[in-house]
Amino acid sequence: MAHITAGITSSHVPAIGAAVDLGNTGEDYWKPAFAGFDWTKEWIMKPENKPDVVILVYNDHASAFDMNLIPTFAIGCADEFQPADEGWGPRPVPVVKNHADLAWHIAQSCILDEFDMTIINKMDVDHGLTVPLSLMFGQPEDWPCKVVPLAVNVVTYPPPSGNRCYNLGKAIRDAVDSFPEDLKVQVWGTGGMSHQLQGTRAGLINAEWDKKFLDDLTADPERLRKMPHIEYLREAGSEGIELVMWLIMRGALGDKVKELHRHYHVAASNTALGHIVLEPAE
Amino acid sequence: MKQNIHEYLAEFDDIPGTRVYTTARARKGYWVNQFAMSLMKDENRKRWLADEKAYLDEWPKITQEQKDALLARDYDKLLDLGGNIYFLAKVFSTDGKSYLQAVSTMTGMSVDDYRNMMLSGGRSPEGLRSKKKGY
Repeated sequence: MAHITAGITSSHVPAIGAAVDLGNTGEDYWKPAFAGFDWTKEWIMKPENKPDVVILVYNDHASAFDMNLIPTFAIGCADEFQPADEGWGPRPVPVVKNHADLAWHIAQSCILDEFDMTIINKMDVDHGLTVPLSLMFGQPEDWPCKVVPLAVNVVTYPPPSGNRCYNLGKAIRDAVDSFPEDLKVQVWGTGGMSHQLQGTRAGLINAEWDKKFLDDLTADPERLRKMPHIEYLREAGSEGIELVMWLIMRGALGDKVKELHRHYHVAASNTALGHIVLEPAE
Repeated sequence: MKQNIHEYLAEFDDIPGTRVYTTARARKGYWVNQFAMSLMKDENRKRWLADEKAYLDEWPKITQEQKDALLARDYDKLLDLGGNIYFLAKVFSTDGKSYLQAVSTMTGMSVDDYRNMMLSGGRSPEGLRSKKKGY
């Protein structure tokens, strides 16, 4: 049977993608940002850890979804997805290959479990999805695993509550556990941490709040589930709301988790870069 | 856990220097944002850069005020008029500008000063969480 082996979170700042694509990761500005991923890059390619499939939770940044269509939770079910042209040409990264059987299975299971998923086939994937892949896998010829894209609306208000995200994670875990193929599946939650991309408050970073958020993924996920949107906005900036997506990852791992690795760096462009690796503890 | 939608929305106005992208803003900026999406195609970027005013004339539902703000790359104003940063990213990306460069223009700081602020830990949330409570 398929099972969830680990959860990873990471910010998905577009400038990180540009640094990788332009070969600038060794520059003084970027070195400390990328150094915190060295541990994960080595860990994730060990045979016992390497995922067959990653369920990659991210938000589309007005690439596949414009104002015409705003799905709260959309699961990509096609066989593959091309990198999006976000205004400067598509990123030179591999095509994202899906495990479509698993994706459709998750879609069906979650809908029966009362999560009204939007199913999408034709979709280009933007930096929200491809930057975490670059951070974890570098620049391979092909991505080393299949990827199920799960896009969450965190742009037009209201986004889903943290609790809703957490519960969706639990439903995804049940779906994965009932898939007959023997697969190692990771769930990644992306975006965050504190950042604000607008107005006179732009550039807001709240390291203390971010670190407590990282701590409580292990220590007190119940607090995070109950956190209202206004707290994210006040404390972590208007784009800090992306962190609700991390709770889908957290919900998918079960009640208890063990922290294997973390990295926190200010700043990557406008953003506090946060990264954590968790595994189920029971 | 059920929240009252009016109270939920009203709280957003209490955050200094922030325009949360509510449905009211989304409706106001619908055509600005859809115009921005058109710049995801290279042939449209070329036509836009060749004659911005002519390109905007193809979008009759964008108001003159919105058009002026687009031509001036006044991102702060565009947020007031219903623009959203992820949509407007297509405009500044077409100009070859990064998020950091575009975002810094809304802060009254130079790009270098803004970049240095980010490198030294970013902007503190102290005093910027709530207008009413001032914390």
